[in-house]
Amino acid sequence: MQRRLSISFAAVCVLFALLTARLMYIEKTSGERYEKKVLSQQEYDSSIIPYQRGDITDRRGTVLATSVDVYNVILDSKVLNSVKKTNEKNKKNTDIIETTLKYLGQVFPDIDLEDARKTITEKPDNQYHVLKKHASYDEMKTFSTLSTDKETKDKIAGIWFEKEYVRGYPYGSFASSVIGFCSSDGNGVTGIENRYNGMLNGVNGRSYGYVSEESALEQTVIEAVNGNTIVSTLDMNVQTIVENEIKAWNDTRINEENKARFGSKNTAVLVMDPSNGEVLAMATYPTFDLNAPRDLSAFYSEEELAALTSEDQFNALNTIWQNFCITHSFEPGSTFKPFTIAAGLETGSVKGDEIYECDGGEQIGPDYVKCMLTHGQLDLKASLGQSCNDALMQMSYAIGAENFSEYQHLFGFGQRTGIDLPGEARTDSLIYSKEDLGRTINIATNSFGQNFNVTMIQLASAFASIVNGGNLYKPHVVKSIVDPSGNVVKSFSPEIEKKTVSPEVSEEMKTMLRAVVEEGTGGIAGVLGYDIGGKTGTAQKLPRSAGKNLVSFIGYAPQEDPKVLIYVVVDEPNDPDQAHSVFAQEIAHNIMVQILPYLNIEKADPTLFDEKKEYTPMFTSIETEGTVHTEQTGEEAPESTENTAAPAPEPTEGAQQ
Amino acid sequence: MGEANIKKFKRSRTKRLYYFDYSLFLMLIILFAFGMVMLYSVSAYQGNLKFGDSAYYLKRQALFGAVGMLILFIMIKVGYSFLDRLSGLFYFVSLILCVAVNFMGSSGGGSVRWFRLGPLNVQPSEIAKVAVIIFLAHLISRSNKGLRSTANIIKAFLFVIPFVVVIAYTNLSTAIIVAGIAFIMLFVAGKKSMIFVVLLIIGALGVALFIIFQGYRSNRISVWLHPEDYSEGFQTMQALYAIGSGGVFGRGLGASMQKLGFVPAANNDMIFSIICEELGIIGAIGLMVLYILFAWRCLVIALNAVDQFGSFLVIGIMTHISLQVVLHVAVCTNTIPNTGVTLPYISYGGSALIMLLFEAGIVLSVSAKIPIPAEADEGTVLTQ
Repeated sequence: MQRRLSISFAAVCVLFALLTARLMYIEKTSGERYEKKVLSQQEYDSSIIPYQRGDITDRRGTVLATSVDVYNVILDSKVLNSVKKTNEKNKKNTDIIETTLKYLGQVFPDIDLEDARKTITEKPDNQYHVLKKHASYDEMKTFSTLSTDKETKDKIAGIWFEKEYVRGYPYGSFASSVIGFCSSDGNGVTGIENRYNGMLNGVNGRSYGYVSEESALEQTVIEAVNGNTIVSTLDMNVQTIVENEIKAWNDTRINEENKARFGSKNTAVLVMDPSNGEVLAMATYPTFDLNAPRDLSAFYSEEELAALTSEDQFNALNTIWQNFCITHSFEPGSTFKPFTIAAGLETGSVKGDEIYECDGGEQIGPDYVKCMLTHGQLDLKASLGQSCNDALMQMSYAIGAENFSEYQHLFGFGQRTGIDLPGEARTDSLIYSKEDLGRTINIATNSFGQNFNVTMIQLASAFASIVNGGNLYKPHVVKSIVDPSGNVVKSFSPEIEKKTVSPEVSEEMKTMLRAVVEEGTGGIAGVLGYDIGGKTGTAQKLPRSAGKNLVSFIGYAPQEDPKVLIYVVVDEPNDPDQAHSVFAQEIAHNIMVQILPYLNIEKADPTLFDEKKEYTPMFTSIETEGTVHTEQTGEEAPESTENTAAPAPEPTEGAQQ
Repeated sequence: MGEANIKKFKRSRTKRLYYFDYSLFLMLIILFAFGMVMLYSVSAYQGNLKFGDSAYYLKRQALFGAVGMLILFIMIKVGYSFLDRLSGLFYFVSLILCVAVNFMGSSGGGSVRWFRLGPLNVQPSEIAKVAVIIFLAHLISRSNKGLRSTANIIKAFLFVIPFVVVIAYTNLSTAIIVAGIAFIMLFVAGKKSMIFVVLLIIGALGVALFIIFQGYRSNRISVWLHPEDYSEGFQTMQALYAIGSGGVFGRGLGASMQKLGFVPAANNDMIFSIICEELGIIGAIGLMVLYILFAWRCLVIALNAVDQFGSFLVIGIMTHISLQVVLHVAVCTNTIPNTGVTLPYISYGGSALIMLLFEAGIVLSVSAKIPIPAEADEGTVLTQ
């Protein structure tokens, strides 16, 4: 027995020895290969944790754009099939596929269960099949609760959720051209969304495993860094009032007779704080819905849409996404007159005590440039108040090309303002050079705002500098940037770009501008009880004979230390009688009636109230002012100059960039 | 508490000294503790993944280990002789369980192998191994002149055949182990040699035929020879990757990468491959040496046992543990076709661990019956 037992024991020992040899053999022959294999099959299971794009809010924190988490429903056929197999082996009666589909159908009624079933049977190894995109958090939560619930958890398998964020704009078309919208991949296309894309976007997080130096597998989660919140300078209330009034006015221009789609080609309003360059409201018309930026149905009938080529569509979209206030340039017309006068006063070439004789126009070489009326004798204040072209032309001779050009540039015309929005129009080639201004016809027409182009933001910023004592602030739409934990990363303080006029000239100008509203052409815009100054403008568009106009009003309040500036532009109002600034003044009036009390603008006379819509225009007769009729006499006409080195100002249309 | 029991035992019989194999007990404790450490290392990831508790498997194994240890001490205290009387009962009850499991059991890994008994999965085949050992020890000790004739040897074998057949139906590897235990026990007891050579050949042929005729297993041969080419060879390849990547000294305890879901059944059927990956060939050899020492202590106890029943109990148990280690390592190294065999005292498995500790209890209780001659000191008595 002892011998046989020893033999058995020896046999076991031999077997162990053989196995040890086998181990060594494996290590010797394939060790290195297997080790590489082990490292290579570590998939590190890396998955992306999406960041949340920052919000855009108004100056008081109302959220105008935000990212909402949504969940894609993913079907894993492989898991479902394997659970089914296991269940069958364990003789469990539940058909996991059918019960899972049943609960899916309950929570997500719009999932195509047949499609899911097909995927499970036809692609049993498929691990990623999107059943539904962008399910809401509530739906995801409902289903997740079911799949962890005691009763139902054994009946659900192979469904998981992929988190994503989608951009949402709670107020639809509200401030659409300023806020802008995002592409589906989370990059801003227009507006603040585009300009502050880098600040709004965060950094995706990642969860992954990696092999450390000691070849040990480490699991790491790098949390996503969410984007910063952009606090804009827009005031939700002001913007709403502005948008409502633009729409209300335009609606009155649409009637049975004209069957027009829109009340004007473009209407744009800019409300700024002249004391720091902050934009309180910036609105354009027509507008679009940020939640459906590619929907053209408001602009074209179905038949028209069907007829559009994709290029046409692209162009049409690019047009509606424009922010008129900064991307369009146009001839300002009479709203430019204050700048000519300010330049004259500041350089001393205009003393202020001149008397101008308006005889209905000026003969400049072969051209006769008309004034609207024959004003007779006018002092400086009345020249502006009556918007007399003849007086301004005479003034320009006194100022001279050198001074005029210098001040045009000093006020920022021909340059970008640098506003923090994309697509600001270039106007450097749309104004005359000093040399070109040497030609009398050019400086003469320029003096009352014709034959050169400006943008709304340019003119408004420059106008602000006239009324605020001479500080040309850089206009901006963003107040501050706040990180996800609420700390202010950056705040934008007022930036003075230039000093334009002296405080004394500023005061003089304000007195004259106040008179425009009190007793001049700007009476309709005035609001009872408030000290408002401003200037009207009516610019005939090219070709001058077409009778199309761009009418405008720019004003400020209060007279002492202005706190708000409003600039209204109506481009081609839908009305045959459009060569006057009443439309723009009406809009400005209706807006100011509401925003002046809201912004706590000091009243000049607290006993006077101007009920909205119940105002009686101070001017009952419609004046036609500032319109010039240049008689075209061949190549000498500014519009048709071909030989000059001067960049000929282009027509208003399509004059951007 | 083990020592306390022993002391009490010694005090009650002050006149005569009895031997107790402390070295075997120590080896058992080392194996068990090492097993717990390795099991925790291997199963933490999976436990966390499946149950949200990295110590899930460790806790369960510790619970079964405690139950097993209790049984072990009861065995030492009670002694093994009652097993002799109950051997017939053990035999029939476990045979019935083995048959019944095919109709009433729960499935796992493709075959019906166990009963669910509350938190415990009871594998009747685990019980069958011990039942066969006890029954054969009983049989051998009763044939007072040993198994002199070939006929007697064959008769003894016939008792084991039903077990082998029934278990082989669902679990070929356990059937082979049962057959192997019987073979060695009868080989040691028998006085003839030819019959064993013949049986060895028959056994080999039987296994071959079994494999060929049972459909899903026959594929295992091709998988065994070329594991890379078959999807079924995945487990084997992953185990080989683990062994290969461990090198001589291993990646270090706890540093296995293959346990992270790559080696299926890493905490039971394939645990040796993870041990190789973490502790290297050195660690693997160390572990095998520990098993050999364990078997050697069993051998010593078997040779010194006071009666033949005890002696053959120990031989059976020694065979059982050694065979299982050999098969487990052979499977992990793809030396034989893949079949589920656990590593004694280390692999995860409730009923297996309890039965193995019960077996260790039997061996220790046999050692505890060995008297120490008055003038000899403990150290020299039992060295062979």
